[in-house]
Amino acid sequence: MVSALYTAAAGMEAQQNHLDQVANDLANVSTTGYKSLRVGFHDLVYQLEGRGAGPGVMTGAGAASGVIGRNPTQGALIPTERPLDVALEGPGFIQVRGPGGEVALTRDGDLQVNADGYLQTSSGQLLQPPIKVPKGVEEGEISIASNGTVSAAGRRLGQISVVAVTNPDGLQPVGENVFRPTAASGPVGAAGGTALQQGALEASNVDMADASVEMMNAQRGYELDSRVIQTQDEVLAVANGIKQ
Amino acid sequence: MDRGLYIAASGMLAEMVRQDQIANDLANATTPGYKADRSAQSGFGQLLLHNTSDGQTIGSIGLGVQIDEVRTDLAPGPIHETGEPLDFAIEGEGFFAVQTSAGVRYTRNGQFGVSASGTLVDAFGNQVLGADGNPVQVRRDGTARASDVGVFAVTGAAKQGESLFTGTAAGTASGKVRAGALEESAANPARSMVDMISSFRSLEADQKALQTIDQTLGEFAGQVGSVS
Repeated sequence: MVSALYTAAAGMEAQQNHLDQVANDLANVSTTGYKSLRVGFHDLVYQLEGRGAGPGVMTGAGAASGVIGRNPTQGALIPTERPLDVALEGPGFIQVRGPGGEVALTRDGDLQVNADGYLQTSSGQLLQPPIKVPKGVEEGEISIASNGTVSAAGRRLGQISVVAVTNPDGLQPVGENVFRPTAASGPVGAAGGTALQQGALEASNVDMADASVEMMNAQRGYELDSRVIQTQDEVLAVANGIKQ
Repeated sequence: MDRGLYIAASGMLAEMVRQDQIANDLANATTPGYKADRSAQSGFGQLLLHNTSDGQTIGSIGLGVQIDEVRTDLAPGPIHETGEPLDFAIEGEGFFAVQTSAGVRYTRNGQFGVSASGTLVDAFGNQVLGADGNPVQVRRDGTARASDVGVFAVTGAAKQGESLFTGTAAGTASGKVRAGALEESAANPARSMVDMISSFRSLEADQKALQTIDQTLGEFAGQVGSVS
């Protein structure tokens, strides 16, 4: 008969988890290409009550929450005028070489030329396929077309590969804004209709107002559940107080 | 022994069941598409009392109470925009249908996603069904047409957990699907808190009744028939 205590505790845990995810979103409000998290809620199993209730009467065991994916909506394009900044307009990712040499994906188009002359992301991942910038070519001479073709002074250097997966929520984050395809994400294929914009970066799509409202909601939910726990404690005290 | 003891105890047990039900409503105050419950209470039945010496009927007495039924209020809740392309809400009556390993289940929680094969699935990976009973395709741009998602009328809907309802399909329902929006939880925190407090006071009153009867019995055992 102490199940209401655990029901409320489950509710508190769900709200705590929600709060953690909102905090993560808020921390990434200025991370290039960041997509806000979607937190899913659901109720838990319903069980027979037993004493005090008629046959077949069931009550629920609370709630749970978890991340069910990311909000894929486009972030605002911020012009930077830096020639090696590229932003994606539309769904998809830039294909890069992951830490272990495998194919990895990112929407962070803050590119640099590394010591060997290859284009890489700000976190040090080489583009896949690699693009070499010849010695003597200044950053300002590099132009990137909307289809990803990189050229300098009329010479084609390579093409930035823009790819997509069926289920972006199935991608495995490997830190630093980089994701790895998995069985759940589906295979990597060409992204149709996505354009690259040179001289701009995609801002985080976290909406401060939305995130603040969600945070308040989660806090209120947390408070409600903690009130329930207090009341259940008093209920049990009354039951124990029968024998004076 | 005195029947009153058992009657008061049954009241306490019933209130504790009600507390469980209210705690679940409050825990789900932010669960999209959640439907609030009500505990319906009833008496065990009446007993006719007779005078032991001449058999004359005195009147009837109740034998206590229990929670007979936890009823779910399926009235549609308010809808709010989320801007997430794969959030869906039903405006009006009806349920989404999902294909689980145990058969078709129904839900009002439209926090959907996409599977590796490009079909619309719920948060647990169950296929969401269209009006024709087939999976719903998600387009390349990561959206799905709201009109492709089926809305079904369900009779005998009962909660199963994980936002799912069991029940029998009874054709299509009048509700309209909206994308980029979610139905809010129908749990009403203010009402649930009031219910919880009032139930708690009933529990206390039952406890006082128990203690009073206990004292009466104590005096009966200790004083009646004592010589001094």
